[in-house]
Amino acid sequence: MAAAEHPVLSNVTFIDPTPSPDDIPKVDEVGATSAPLKSVAFFIEGRKVTRCAIDLIRKVREHCDQEFEAHWQCLDRNNQEYRHCRGLERKFNSCVFNALKKVIPGSPSNQPQIHLKENPLYKERPRW
Amino acid sequence: MDTTTKPQTQDLPRSGGFPSVRYKRNLPHKGPSGLVIFTVLGAISAYGFYRVGQGNLEKRELRREHLWSRIHLVPLLTAELDRDTYRRNCAALAREAEIMKDVPGWKVGESVYNTKRYVGPTQIVVPEPS
Repeated sequence: MAAAEHPVLSNVTFIDPTPSPDDIPKVDEVGATSAPLKSVAFFIEGRKVTRCAIDLIRKVREHCDQEFEAHWQCLDRNNQEYRHCRGLERKFNSCVFNALKKVIPGSPSNQPQIHLKENPLYKERPRW
Repeated sequence: MDTTTKPQTQDLPRSGGFPSVRYKRNLPHKGPSGLVIFTVLGAISAYGFYRVGQGNLEKRELRREHLWSRIHLVPLLTAELDRDTYRRNCAALAREAEIMKDVPGWKVGESVYNTKRYVGPTQIVVPEPS
């Protein structure tokens, strides 16, 4: 027998295996967990987001697989805070900048971006 | 009584005299003066507050960076969630049509509220795992 549950407050796992209707264009899901997404967050842009993101992650995997893997694993183990993974982030960034011609947008006025800060007060202390 | 014939003996200081009475304060000099201590402590505190200020600025930048990484992911995650919600809604409507097919006049998916605005589902029916 089916049970009625609150849509938000329910703690029952509700997996509905029914596929999407056929008249909706088929879109593959990104399928990445939060740490890899946070790692490549600044490189995702543009419309048609899902296909774009899949395409970007595929390209990153192609060109900078090792750096990407190292960086998001580090994020995963350090509370997903960028400041604990600056060394790996710089390697990953320089690889992506070179291979995919990407930049990290947004910088405070007259200051270097935070990920380029040479001697931060909040030091990097990776647990692994 | 004859006092002029005998020599008088008088109590006199000892030979060389008494030493002078020590009445001055004897406090040896210990450590730097108050002004120096105040100045040094003030300098230390000023440096500490400077570091706190720098740390606050850096923390602000770290929060900004974190926020913008989330903002960059919002369209992606919204699209994903919208697709999933729509798919589940279609499945729920199909189940409802199947269950209520013998009831004449039943409108599948009709809102129970007398409004034209969108009202999200207030209950989800979890089917029995088969």
